[in-house]
Parts: sequence; structure tokens; C-alpha cells
Amino acid sequence: MIGYELVPLPAYLDIANSRWLWLSTLPVVLAVLLQATLFLRRAWNDGKEMGLSEQKLKTGFKTGVISAIGPSIAVLAGMLALIATVGGPVAWMRLTVIGSVAFELPAAELGVSQFGYSLGDEGITETAYATAVWAMTLGGTGWLLVSAFGTRHMETVRTKISNGNEKLLPIVSAAAMLGAFAYFLTGEATAGTPETGSIAVGGLTMLGLLHLADSRDIQWLKEWALGTAMLVGLVAGVAIQVTVGSWW
Amino acid sequence: MSENQHSEGEMSGAASGTDVYEDKFVPYINKWGRRTNLLAVLLSLGPAVALLTVFDILPPSQAIVGAFVSVALTFGWAWFIEPLSYYPVLGIPGTYMAFMSGNISNLRLPCAAAAQEASDVETGTPQASIISTVAIAASIFVNTLVLGFGAVALVSAFQALPELWRNALESYLVPAVFGAIFAQFGRDYPKVAGIGFAIALVMTLLLELGYLAFLPSYPLYAVIVVSVFGTTLIARWMWQHGMISPPDEENE
Repeated sequence: MIGYELVPLPAYLDIANSRWLWLSTLPVVLAVLLQATLFLRRAWNDGKEMGLSEQKLKTGFKTGVISAIGPSIAVLAGMLALIATVGGPVAWMRLTVIGSVAFELPAAELGVSQFGYSLGDEGITETAYATAVWAMTLGGTGWLLVSAFGTRHMETVRTKISNGNEKLLPIVSAAAMLGAFAYFLTGEATAGTPETGSIAVGGLTMLGLLHLADSRDIQWLKEWALGTAMLVGLVAGVAIQVTVGSWW
Repeated sequence: MSENQHSEGEMSGAASGTDVYEDKFVPYINKWGRRTNLLAVLLSLGPAVALLTVFDILPPSQAIVGAFVSVALTFGWAWFIEPLSYYPVLGIPGTYMAFMSGNISNLRLPCAAAAQEASDVETGTPQASIISTVAIAASIFVNTLVLGFGAVALVSAFQALPELWRNALESYLVPAVFGAIFAQFGRDYPKVAGIGFAIALVMTLLLELGYLAFLPSYPLYAVIVVSVFGTTLIARWMWQHGMISPPDEENE
């Protein structure tokens, strides 16, 4: 959980929010958009050749757009902590490229801590701020390098895990996802009762909506299921917070 | 370069879906994925370089090294474990895109998973990989716009929100998303979901109670490694013994 206070703005934030920093973040964001455009065009053309209907591709795109709106707004909420500490441009760049709040905030903290500061402290120097920027930048390249050089070899590892058994692949994939999300879930659940309520209500809402969508054959319901489950889970979390609070 | 490009027309009739995917799509993605991701490594230095050249601010090298080593100790495990763990769902193109654009667990994975569900393709197939690519590209456009707009304009509006709702958005949207995605995958494999949750819960409690302290650095990596690979291996064992089968009718 990320707690932060809004304190009077330190002087380095003038530099951090300057026009030059906005300009310096543009190239890498454009590179991300370039890759997305290249891949999208290719997937659309090759997908049709593979027998995917235009309608399925459109459904995929539409679902991507709709499903991204809610989480993007959620990221925006967490981004405020970054804006308050490393400024708007770097916050925008780090959350559009490579990072997540869960990585960038600790990385920035580790940067300023080289000078004995903690994020949000008064009197953080420009040098300490620059160190935070370097920490986020260099730390983030790990994922870029592993994905750049390792992606083409991952099929080998995956095949080893499933021993080349075709029917096993969907099970192994789903099991890996369930394992990863179980880990995210338990991390959130140990944070408090409201978080646990959000998980449970979000999950149950999703189950209900998907069941309804399947049994009545309502396609659009699936596209909105995640966004709806998220909002219902949010309200549940707030309701628990204001009524019973947290028991752990 | 050319071997990928002039093949558009000649193989359209004969090629099956898998051939198009393996022989045309994947090579293109590997080539351009690597190039664009390495380009991003260079361009991500932008703000650091601007601080140096425009404002003449360069931290002492031992501060940069110290910060980098701390980050590597804390997150170095994730550089390798995360791509490996998410690869089955993201696919090849999704892996390049998601690790370039970030926000994987809370944004890219949910979008890819929701799109696969909505388009009715089976996870792990070439078709699912194509749909993931389309959905993740869409999510990148949306989130760049939303965050850009937010960083410039929405900050003040958000700050005007009552404290309760500001905290609520930060605290409760993420667990609700995690719960929903877990439910979506758990629907097909409720037994595996239960086992995965039990493993992760035990590991998380061991971590929080300090029983993993014998491991080097902060042993969060042990929790994710055991959760992901433990669940995978148990699911495999259950399948071999006929205790689970791919999606059909097996709802809780």
C-alpha cells in the first residue's frame, strides 16, 4: 500500500516539471507507440490470413480499449505519488514505458536514499532527484533487455515444463496465471479487511457476470465484466473501510 | 528482411493458420520486437540526459552505482521471473510489448485475458496470441492517452476529491482487478485455483512472519517462484492423473 502526504513543493520540482523534461520523455513514449502500431498492423493482417474473422479482431481491439480505461485511471491514482515526488514528465514516462507504480516508487526511493533522504522529504537536492531518475531508468532496463534477448527462447523453457504435450499447454498456462494471481491476491489480502473484501466482491461479481454472459449468450457483457467487477469491488472496499474498518 | 515481406500473396491459399503464425508473424515480431525494445533502452535515458546536458546535474558515480545495485537486489529476480511467468499468457508479441510498456499485472494481462475471453479463443493457441497482440496494442494507446492527459490536466481535479475517495481509488481498485482476473481463470480450473491460492497464502504468510529470512535479500522472489511453478507442477500432475481437464463444464 502506498501512503503519501502532499507537502509543499521542493525546489527541484521546478526542474522536474520543466518543459525540457517533458520534451526529453517524448522520444521513448513515441517508440512504444511505434512498436504498438507495427505489431497491431501485422497481427491484424496475419490474423486474417490465419482465419480469424474481422469481427473477432475488432472484438479483441474493443475489449483491449475498454479494459484499459479502468486500470489506466487506477494507475493515474497511483501516479499522483510519483508526480508529487519526481514530477509530471518522469511520472508519465515511467508509467507509459516499462514501469509500474510498484517498481518506480521503490526505485526512486532507493535513488534519493543514497543521500539519506526519503521521498517526500523537504530539501531533497537536485542531485538526489537526478539519482532517483537514474535508478528508475537503469533498473527498468532489466526487463527491456531480458525481453529483447530472451523472448525468442522462452518457448523452449515452456516446452520443457510441459514436456511437449499439446493438451497440457492450456492447463499449464492457466495454472501459471492462477499461481501468479494467487500471489498478487494474497499480497493484497494481507493488507487489510477492505482489500480482502474488494478481492472477494470483485471475484464474485466477475463470476456472476461471466456466468450470465455465457448462459444468456451476451457478448458485450464480457467486454464490460472486468470494468464492472472492478468498480463493484472498489465500492465494497470503501463500504468495509467506513463501516467495520480493518481487522488486521 | 525481404524473406518476410514478399510472401504476402503466394502462400495465402495453402498456408494453414499455424504456418502463417510460425513462418511470417513470429519472425517479424522477433525482429522488430528486439529492435524497438533496444531502442527504448537508449531513449529511456532521455530525462537523465536532459538533466545532465540542459541543467548540468550529474550524480556522483558511486551514488548511481549504489542506487542501481539496490534496485537490482530488490527487483533483479523480477527481470527474469516475470517474463518467464507471464509469457504463456502474453505470447511472444505480448512479451515484447508488455515489458516495454509496463503495468503488466494490473493492465496488460487483464486486457489480454479479457480480449481472449471476449473473442472466444483458447489460451495458448496462435489465435490467442494474435488477439492478445491486438488488445495490448489497444491498451497501450489508451493508457498513453489517459496518463498523458492525467499528468498534465487531471492532477488538480483528482486532488480536489475527498480524501476517502482518493485513498479508495489507490487502495481498492487493484485488489478488485486481481480478484476478478483470478475468478476468470479459476472458473475453468476451480481445483487448480484453490491449490494455487493455498500455496500463495502459505508462502505470503511465511514471508510476512519472517520465516523466509534465511534466504538472501528480501525473499519476495521465493513467494512468486513457489506460487507460479508449484501451481504449474501440481496442475500438471493432476492432469496426468485425470483429475482435471481443459475447459468444459466444471463450475463451482
